[in-house]
Amino acid sequence: MRYLLSFIIILSSFLYGSEADDIIKAVEDNLRGDFMYAKMRMIVTGQRGERTIEMESWSQGDTKSFIKILYPKKDRGITFLKLDTQMWQYVPKIERTIKIPPSMMLQSWMGSDFTNDDMVKESSMIKDYNARLISKTASSATIELLPKPNAAVVWGKIIVDVDISNKVPTKEIYYDDQMQKVRIMTFSNIQRHGSHNLPMIMELKPLDAEKKKNSTKIIFEKVNYDTPIDASYFSKNALKRYSN
Amino acid sequence: MLYSLAIKNILASKSRTLTIFLLSMFATAFFIVYVAFTNGSHEQMIKSSVEIYTGYAHINAKGYQEESDYDHLIEDAGQIETFLNQKPFVSNFSPRFETYALLSQKEKTVGSMITGIIPSRESSFSHLKSSLVKGSYLEDNDTRAIYIGSDLAKRLSIDVGDEIAMISSSLDYSTAADLFKVKGIFKTGLFDFDSSSAFVNKTYLDSVMMSENKASYFVVSFIDNKAADHYVETLNNDLPQNYEALSWKTLLFDLVQLIQVDSLFGYISISVFFVVIFFVIMIFNYVNIYARVRQIGLLRALGFTPKDIRVLLFNELLIIALLSVSFGAIVGAVITYYLEIYPITISGLAETYKEYGIISDTIPTHFDTFTIIWNALSIFILNISSMFYPIYKINKLSVTEAMRYV
Repeated sequence: MRYLLSFIIILSSFLYGSEADDIIKAVEDNLRGDFMYAKMRMIVTGQRGERTIEMESWSQGDTKSFIKILYPKKDRGITFLKLDTQMWQYVPKIERTIKIPPSMMLQSWMGSDFTNDDMVKESSMIKDYNARLISKTASSATIELLPKPNAAVVWGKIIVDVDISNKVPTKEIYYDDQMQKVRIMTFSNIQRHGSHNLPMIMELKPLDAEKKKNSTKIIFEKVNYDTPIDASYFSKNALKRYSN
Repeated sequence: MLYSLAIKNILASKSRTLTIFLLSMFATAFFIVYVAFTNGSHEQMIKSSVEIYTGYAHINAKGYQEESDYDHLIEDAGQIETFLNQKPFVSNFSPRFETYALLSQKEKTVGSMITGIIPSRESSFSHLKSSLVKGSYLEDNDTRAIYIGSDLAKRLSIDVGDEIAMISSSLDYSTAADLFKVKGIFKTGLFDFDSSSAFVNKTYLDSVMMSENKASYFVVSFIDNKAADHYVETLNNDLPQNYEALSWKTLLFDLVQLIQVDSLFGYISISVFFVVIFFVIMIFNYVNIYARVRQIGLLRALGFTPKDIRVLLFNELLIIALLSVSFGAIVGAVITYYLEIYPITISGLAETYKEYGIISDTIPTHFDTFTIIWNALSIFILNISSMFYPIYKINKLSVTEAMRYV
């Protein structure tokens, strides 16, 4: 009897793990799509005030993406290319392309609360983390993500609230390796684009006492999931070519 | 009578007196010189670390030490300049603007600290100028010139005259980017510093970073840097509420701890020396007192009480200890004082020393009267302690035992 009970407990934890994996995978597949074009506005609020950055992005799966800054005028034409876990930046003012070194991956991206690492590893939840279902209702689920052994990740734990019917996250809480809450990301205004649902507003708030006033909000203004993107966007030549 | 008898006894057994005198004197002189060398090297470590770059004190916005970001800058550098100009005990000061940047040359990109400095004023605080190994130091009217650490230059495979790109974030968080020509390469010997530091004329960097009239902090030196703690306290009392002054002891907390640990291990080592000296002196006293056991028995037979014998022997050893320790203290003090003024120089090693962050090729010694007094007192107490056992033992013998003692 005791062995049977242990077997049921172990089996149910596998099933729960498997269901959590399925939910996370469904969310990632929905958000990512094979190809995605987006025009976005990023509003960065900090102690020194508020600023707005406008950009376009082109991505293919979760390994290739290209970003071009449109506004402010001073930053217009700056481009970023991500291929797998590597990242390059082109600055038209000095006509130079530089590769972002691994040591700078935790630095802020464009002065926002996002890091360079966020831009590179945005879609690695299913690959780098073990998912465990904490709670579930008919429409929502809360999932705990713990890093897989030897996974090169920054976070000690992520708790994700998921809108199951729309296959989108509604809230993500990030913990550091000391299991202290570090930042919260919220998602809202879900809209349907072709066969995908997308939260059109994402807001990131760091929880550091020193950064109480900080937040970064990304508002999607235009999204297209269904049109294939030219492979030329995902080469180093594109950085300069599509800068103008 | 006991006192004059003690002197007679001291003079009567010259070899015994001389042995204990020399032993105690050398121990005192050695201890004083050893402590002076240790303190001197610690002082040099501090001097090297403080003077290479950090400086004796900083003034920064509160919170800057915890979060060295743009939210904790000195927003009105002019206000701090005016404040510091009014302080008679401040001998020099200069603003610095520190930020992180990507430096890139062809395929190589490295994250580094970039600091805007006023080159002419900086040379009175730090060893940046004297650490030059190639090219030349910055000037106050330089524009696209960068002064770069030797190991950083190696990591980027660049040399004097090469062009490098800098990408950073300006104060409005827009991208700040520019091209700089390497004007000079420095080497302080502090590896972390040499591999991740670069300097630009602040006036020009301010135009790139939009940081005019801003500073990360002010570096400050005083008319007497040994009293830095006192001056920092005075500055803190007068500074506007959102600013703080910090002395090098706070800024270089790790170094201060390292020195404390080193001192502790130094004293543990010297305590072994103390134990040896204690037993050697005690054995000498013991042997010499027992060599005179018949004489002591005779004195007891003549009517001396055990207390008289105790006082007599104590006086003898006290006189020798006082003289030897005093003489040893004078010898040690003279050697220390001489070495402080004329330190031992290992000629030809200056360049090698520089490799290890030591900005001098001399072995430093620190002369301090208070330290010498407590060093001498320690040996004196050691001498006194070593008397008790032999005196106690000799007084345990009865008169007949003492008279018959062979």
